[in-house]
Amino acid sequence: MILLQGSGVGAGIAIGTAFVTDTAAVESSFEVIEHDRLTTEVELLDLALKRTAETLRKTRTEVPEDAPHEIAAFLEAHVLMVEDETLREETVNIVYRESVSAETALMIHRDDLIKVFESMEDEYLRSKKDDVSQVISQIHRQLLVLKGEDDKRTEQDLSEYIVVAHELTPADTVSFTNLKMRAFVTDLGSRISHVAILARSLKIPAVVGLHGEVRHIPHGALVAVDSHTGQVIVNPDEQTLEELTRRHQEYDRQHQQLLAIRHLNSITLDEHEITLLANVELPSEIDTALESGASGVGLYRTEYLFMNRAQSPSEEEQYESYRQVVQALDNVTIRTLDLGADKQVDGGRRQGKVATNPALGVRAVRFCLRSPDMFRTQLRAILRAAVYGNVQCMIPMLSNLEELAQVKATVARVANDLRKENIEHNSTVPIGGMIEVPAAAITADQFAQHLDFLSIGTNDLIQYTLAIDRVDDEVNYLYDPLHPSVLTLVKHTIDAGRKFDKPVSLCGEMASDSNYTRLLLGMGLRIFSMDPATLLEVKQVVMSSSVEQVVGYVSEIINCQNSLKRLELLEQLNRIDLTDRSAKAFA
Amino acid sequence: MKSGNIQVSNKLGLHARSAAQLVRVASGFESEIKLINGAKSANAKGIMGLMMLAATQGTELELRIDGPDETIAYETIRQLFESRFGEDE
Repeated sequence: MILLQGSGVGAGIAIGTAFVTDTAAVESSFEVIEHDRLTTEVELLDLALKRTAETLRKTRTEVPEDAPHEIAAFLEAHVLMVEDETLREETVNIVYRESVSAETALMIHRDDLIKVFESMEDEYLRSKKDDVSQVISQIHRQLLVLKGEDDKRTEQDLSEYIVVAHELTPADTVSFTNLKMRAFVTDLGSRISHVAILARSLKIPAVVGLHGEVRHIPHGALVAVDSHTGQVIVNPDEQTLEELTRRHQEYDRQHQQLLAIRHLNSITLDEHEITLLANVELPSEIDTALESGASGVGLYRTEYLFMNRAQSPSEEEQYESYRQVVQALDNVTIRTLDLGADKQVDGGRRQGKVATNPALGVRAVRFCLRSPDMFRTQLRAILRAAVYGNVQCMIPMLSNLEELAQVKATVARVANDLRKENIEHNSTVPIGGMIEVPAAAITADQFAQHLDFLSIGTNDLIQYTLAIDRVDDEVNYLYDPLHPSVLTLVKHTIDAGRKFDKPVSLCGEMASDSNYTRLLLGMGLRIFSMDPATLLEVKQVVMSSSVEQVVGYVSEIINCQNSLKRLELLEQLNRIDLTDRSAKAFA
Repeated sequence: MKSGNIQVSNKLGLHARSAAQLVRVASGFESEIKLINGAKSANAKGIMGLMMLAATQGTELELRIDGPDETIAYETIRQLFESRFGEDE
C-alpha cells in the first residue's frame, strides 16, 4: 500500500483500477523508411490529421456548459492548428526529404516549431509552444493508434477506471469523462488550474499536483482517490478499503442529515443569532455556497481571476464576475487582490527575482498600492457590482493606518471618477479590513475606529504570530491555533469590534473547523465565514451550543500553559451535551 | 493587389485565439492573403504561420491581398485588427 498526497478537487471518493496514460509529449524512436513506403506514411499522416481534427471538434461540443469559455476557444484554435496546411506540407516534405516515418517527421517538425517559439521575446506568445506541442502530440498518438502501436488509448469504457496521467489537457479531461472515467490523478495542476475547474463542473473526484508521484502508480493497480483529503492510495489493504467505503457512506449519510438543517435559522440554544457565511473563490462554488444555506459570502477571493494568465482581467471581466456572485448571493464581501507570497500572478512565471521572504514582502494591499492602475480597475468593478446587492469591500494584510488611508482615498477617487463618467455604481460600499498581521490585531482598537468591519484571517495571523511557514514541513508541527498568543489576539480583535460597534467576522480555516466553533462562540464571535462544504457541520454545533455556558471555558483555555492540556480542555468543551443542562459543571 | 500597413493593437498580440479568429475570417475570402513581419511572412489562412510571426502589441504588419475580393477582404481584416479581435484591451 502506498499513500500519495496532492490537492483534492471535484467531489467525493472513488475506488477503481488505475488506467495509466501518457498524455505528455509522445516520443518515438527515429525511424528510416524505404522509399517505396513513403507514400503510405503520407496517407497515414493525412488520416491521422483528419481523425485528430474530428476528435477535437467532437470534444469541443462536449465541453460542459459551465466550463470557462476559454476552454472551448482553445479547442477551436487547436482544430485550426491540426488543419493548418503548412503543418501538413512541412511534415510531408520532411518525410520525403529525410526518408523517415510520419511520426519521426512530426517530431522533427515539432522541434523546429518549438525552437521558433522559444526564440520569441514576448513571454505570452512564447508560451504558445505548449499548444503546438500538445496538438502535435495528439496527431502523433493518432498515428500510433492507426499503426496499432498504441492500444491503451482506445475508445474503451472507463467506468471502472481511474485515469492516471502526468498532465491532462482540457480536451483529455472532457474525452475521458465521456468515456465515464471514475476519477483522475495528475502530477501537474493545482486547485485553480483548468483541469481542477473542470473536475468541479463535471462533479468527479480528482487529485492534482502530485509532483512526479504518479510514477508510483502501476497500470492496473487498485487505486482509491479521496477528493476531500487529497489522498491517493495505491493498492489499499482490506482494512483501508473498508475504512474508505465506510467514510464514503459516512460522508453521504452526514450530508443527508445535515441537509435537513439547511433552512433552519442558525441560532444558539440561548437565542444568539449567528451569521454563517461562505468563502468563495471560483464561480462554480456559488452553487455549493447556495446549497449550504449560507446567508452570504464573507470572503470572495478574487485572485482566481488574476492567476494563470498573462494580463490582468479588464474592468468589464471583473465586473461581470463580481456581479454574478452578488446577484446569486446578495450579501457579498469582496476581498481586493491578495497576491504575492505563495500566490503570484501568472503562476510566478513573470517574476524576475524571487523575494527571500515573500510572506513578508510585497503582497496583498502592499502590492495593490504599488499597482495603482490595477487596483483602481478592481475597485471600479467592485463599486459597479455593488449596485446589485449588499457588497462590502475588504482589504487584506493591513499593517498600519496609513495604508488604510491610502486605500480610502483611492476608493473615493474611483467613486468620483465613476460619478463624472456617469457610470452606475454604489459609492457607499463599506470598507473593512482583514486583521491578519499581529500589528493590526494588537492595535485592533485603532483599526476598529477607522474600518466599517473587521475580519480575522487566522491562517496568516497564526503564521505571522508564531513565525512559522505552514507549507514548510519541517516547522509545520508548530502550527497551533490554540496557542495562547493567537487566542489572545483573536479575542482582542473581537473585543475591539464590540467596543466600537463594528461587526467582526472570522474567515480563516478556524471558522471552517467545527472543533473550534464553541470556543469562538465563547470568545464572542458572531460571524463565521468558511468553506461552504463545512458550513452545515458548523451550523449543527451552533444550534446545539449555548453561549452562556461555553463562555466560561474561554479564559480557562487561553490561560492554560500546556498545549496538550489545552487540547483536552477543548475536547471537553466540545463533548458537553448542552441539551443536558446538568453538564454545565466544569471538571 | 491591395496592400498596406496594419498595427497589432490588442494587448496579447497575435496569439492562438486571436490568430484562430483571423484564420476563420480570412478563409472566407477567395483572395490570397498574406501578413508580413520583417523577414517573416505568413498565409493568413494558416494559424501556425500567424502564430510564428511573433506579432506582439504595437507590431506593424504589412497586409497584402491579391484576388477577386481583395477590397472587401482588406477592409474586413483591417477592422478585425482595429477591434482588437474583440478583446478588452
